[in-house]
Amino acid sequence: MSYHGGGGYRRRYRGHDHGYEEQQNVQTPEQKLQTSIFKLGEVDPEEETTRLVDQICETTPVNIALVSESIRIGVTEQPFKIPYYAALICLLHDRSAPGQEETDLASLGRQILEDYWKGFQTYLDKLSWRDIRLCVHLFAHLTVAKVVAPQSMYELLRSFTVVLDEFGVSYGRAKQAALCAAEGLMMSGAEIKASTAANAMELISSIQAYIDTMNETKSLVQPTVKLHSTADPVETADEIIESALAALHTLNSSDFAQTAGSFLQPYTHFPAYTDAPFELPSVLVPPEVIELDSLSTDSGEDALVKKEEWPEYYMRLFDNDVTPDPTTPFGYAVRRGILDLIDIFEINRKECARLLLELPKWHPHGTFKPRPGAPPQDPVAGKDWQLESTVLEAALGTLFLLPDPQHKPVYYIALVTELCKLSPGTVGPAVGKSIRKMYGFLADGLDLALAQRFMEWFCVHMSNFNFAWVWKEWIPDLELSLQHPKRVFMRNAIDYEIRLSYYDRVLKTLPEPMQNPDNRVVPSEAPAPDYEYDDPARPHYDAAQLVLGLLRGRAKAEDVMSHLESLKNTLEENDSDINVDSIIRSIAVQSLLHIGSRSFSHFLNAIERYLPLLRNLSSGSISTLGTSSLEARMDILTAVSEFWRSGRHMIIIVFDKLMQYQIVDPTDVVSWAFTHGVERIAGSTHPSINALQWDIIRSALDKANGRVVITRKRVSALRKEADEKAALAMVSNGAAMEVDTEAKPDVPEVESPALTTALKAFATLTREQKAALSRTLDGFVDCLASATNPNPAAKMVISENGWHNRANWNEVEWVTWVTWGWYRHFCRLYSPYLRNYSTTLGSVSFAKVGNAGDAAVDTFRKTWNIATGQDA
Amino acid sequence: MAHVVQCLDQPSNYKDSQARVDRQKQAELLAKSTTLYIGNLSFFTTEEQIYELFSKCASTEEGGGIKRIIMGLDRNTRTPCGFCFVEYYTHTEALACLRYISGTKLDERIIRCDLDLGYKEGRQFGRGKSGGQVRDEHRTDYDPGRGGWGAQAQRAEIERRREVEERYADAQDGPGAVATGGGDWKESAAPVQEATLKRGRSPDEEADNADNERMVSAKRFDPKHVLT
Repeated sequence: MSYHGGGGYRRRYRGHDHGYEEQQNVQTPEQKLQTSIFKLGEVDPEEETTRLVDQICETTPVNIALVSESIRIGVTEQPFKIPYYAALICLLHDRSAPGQEETDLASLGRQILEDYWKGFQTYLDKLSWRDIRLCVHLFAHLTVAKVVAPQSMYELLRSFTVVLDEFGVSYGRAKQAALCAAEGLMMSGAEIKASTAANAMELISSIQAYIDTMNETKSLVQPTVKLHSTADPVETADEIIESALAALHTLNSSDFAQTAGSFLQPYTHFPAYTDAPFELPSVLVPPEVIELDSLSTDSGEDALVKKEEWPEYYMRLFDNDVTPDPTTPFGYAVRRGILDLIDIFEINRKECARLLLELPKWHPHGTFKPRPGAPPQDPVAGKDWQLESTVLEAALGTLFLLPDPQHKPVYYIALVTELCKLSPGTVGPAVGKSIRKMYGFLADGLDLALAQRFMEWFCVHMSNFNFAWVWKEWIPDLELSLQHPKRVFMRNAIDYEIRLSYYDRVLKTLPEPMQNPDNRVVPSEAPAPDYEYDDPARPHYDAAQLVLGLLRGRAKAEDVMSHLESLKNTLEENDSDINVDSIIRSIAVQSLLHIGSRSFSHFLNAIERYLPLLRNLSSGSISTLGTSSLEARMDILTAVSEFWRSGRHMIIIVFDKLMQYQIVDPTDVVSWAFTHGVERIAGSTHPSINALQWDIIRSALDKANGRVVITRKRVSALRKEADEKAALAMVSNGAAMEVDTEAKPDVPEVESPALTTALKAFATLTREQKAALSRTLDGFVDCLASATNPNPAAKMVISENGWHNRANWNEVEWVTWVTWGWYRHFCRLYSPYLRNYSTTLGSVSFAKVGNAGDAAVDTFRKTWNIATGQDA
Repeated sequence: MAHVVQCLDQPSNYKDSQARVDRQKQAELLAKSTTLYIGNLSFFTTEEQIYELFSKCASTEEGGGIKRIIMGLDRNTRTPCGFCFVEYYTHTEALACLRYISGTKLDERIIRCDLDLGYKEGRQFGRGKSGGQVRDEHRTDYDPGRGGWGAQAQRAEIERRREVEERYADAQDGPGAVATGGGDWKESAAPVQEATLKRGRSPDEEADNADNERMVSAKRFDPKHVLT
């Protein structure tokens, strides 16, 4: 390629050329057609639809499978284009393949639709719910276009409502099936009703009947906590199936007149299709696949964890005239479209943000207010919503689902960041309003897990936008109780901002009253290690400095241990009243943390160098064998928490690695959080759990669960390997001995040593997992519902009167309420595990619970029962 | 998915120019890599800030988490020079960072994340002529976060810098200079709980020690010294 010339630029040109050639030459006609189908409607949808029809017909012979597959991809990956794909299929019904006799074969459209159906059947077989639902959308549009027979559409929807009546149907399955039926009906209801009037109502009634059975479960995932009553409707959020149902009722009462205003129907602008419609074949929704996994715990419980699905409550952050009410047909259509887009485009948040801001293009005219600067339009009555607020409400609504959003919270956070970057002037204000709204909910019982997620979003968002928040509007709230959710929010948010940034930077963003440490919003100093033995006036200063010197000088672990041993003897001789073991542990651990305090890596290096020392300390000894190891491990954890008292997230990091290096067990960490780790609140008689302790507990439980996941995978892999080997051996055996199945000797299955080890590990780790969960439940019993030591505050804060009097609550009352919140979250977040172990866990912990009839005890039990699926 | 848009977790054109493995092998390694290269960091960003942000993509409940962070250092001065490696326990977590974190801000700079072949000894140091990263060798813009820093700097910032400069003065090179972050859970490593338990090495354990990193630490901290 020397003819390109151009010295230093040569390489770049060549690279450029190459890419260009690739683009031009490598695309086959098939790929070109596929691209055209994917890109349908980006400029002028209706015009492009007709052009695409021609393009498809011009290729000879028409590759039916390719066209139908491309449309299927288009439908399932760009659901906002479904109406145009319906129009495309509709128009293709008037065409026959070039060269074919018109009367010989079915029209192109019919052939494509038949092929498309096969793909739909595949989605159904795999129970790929989102794809199924989006295909149902396409069929519903085709029903309106009169390409699909309404009775067969009804039958299709009916096969989804049948699922709702299955015995013991899981919530996840029922939810998906109900949404397929509901959304299909919203789009095709007019035709179904016109064909057989009773059919529409029948579908609606089936969904209604299912929803009515779900009342108890709902109370555990509503975004505002009302511990005194589960019957009240929530005003702050809408459950998605309930929204769909409400929208359906509205549609049905007007014979689906609003469908046209809610969904695009471009096919109605083309000449109507008049031939015999396509009859959708009848289907059966296949049962869920039960994973056959013979792994169970050593006490016989099923150890396979299946993610539990819960009702989905989407929070409302704006008024009905700003964003559409999702319980109306228009509102539901808009909301659904956004939710699908956010879910599908999780793989590319930047594209997702761009498409979300282009939404008005894919909705009926007048749905959204025109962009600033665009020619003014006459507002359509009952519509004219704000695009950015609508998008944000749906995105945050998904982030604030309980117990967990579908993807990691950081996805939704990053998505909002992208939206702000694309259109700061319009998205920014909507973000500000959302923050204020959520902040307001804090005082009215916003769920603890949501308060935490809100705070996390706030901090990560601010870290992307110069930490610019108008803190001064919250100054009046400094008057509230120190443990009031709003004050806790401010305190924790600033703590998190400092973690992402640094103390001086964050301090600069705050107004003067908040900078004042007396107001307890910011700590008085930047987070820093707190080595207890830095001060010569402290007891054991000299002893600790000697140990520190040894560690700094990288003395061998055994030398440090023998030094500690002699130190122990000296201390015991001098003073017999003190707990020498605890002091030795404190000195050793704090000194170790001290030499590792410069950074996370320094910390890792320090403990990795002195693992033998830590192992011995944790087993209760220094260089000889000790006895009380639990106490030793509690001492180690306490020493960590004291050393990092002003940099609290370091506590979580250090605990995580202590578990990783197996110095302590997850159960130890849980135990510590409920006992030594409890924050002392003046006047409090019982332990309480705050956000920090919950983080500690959660990370310990996740660690225990994660270990089981890994070992399970390992066992499965080893078993598969063994099976394959056995099969191979059988084949070669068979070949050697000719085909004689009768005489084949039974080869006794020998477990490989690796498998034996893995199974042993699995047994140990599931036991540990159960112990950690059990310790957590026990801890909450002690906090809230103990028989021997009942907590009056726990009873008071969940009474109706108590709750309405919360303006006067003191610190003890708030922390008790918070503890209830974390108990709820524990139950629903770990519900899949708790379900498996419910019998053993329940019988042990509930033996310590007080008598029925006590409000606290009843609430405690009820929460547990709902989460574990007992009489829910 | 990924028919109509590019997935953000695809490997980019980032590569380790000194890697001595062929392209196909590199692609295989990347397809299960748990390590990320993080670029465009401020020289002042700490590992704790990095930990905080990257823990948002950790999945402890799936057996994951942050294994270790290796700060990129100037070869000569042993001060951070604007990059690092973050290593997770699982590949999925690394992919999540490409989707959700790459292109967002850390310490008020837009950072980039790329799948990396995995940390090798010596890679924590900058490869530029003057010890830092190559990109800072030829940079002509003024970048306060990356050493383009003069007298007009605020006192507080200088203070912060001093702290940062001292932090890694003790950095070592050679084998074992960088911690492993802890291996998978092992029966053998469980804390000794009973006083009478005498710890001997079982054949199972020997087999278990296939893990290289563990071998290293086992050699360095022979349990025999401890438990006699």
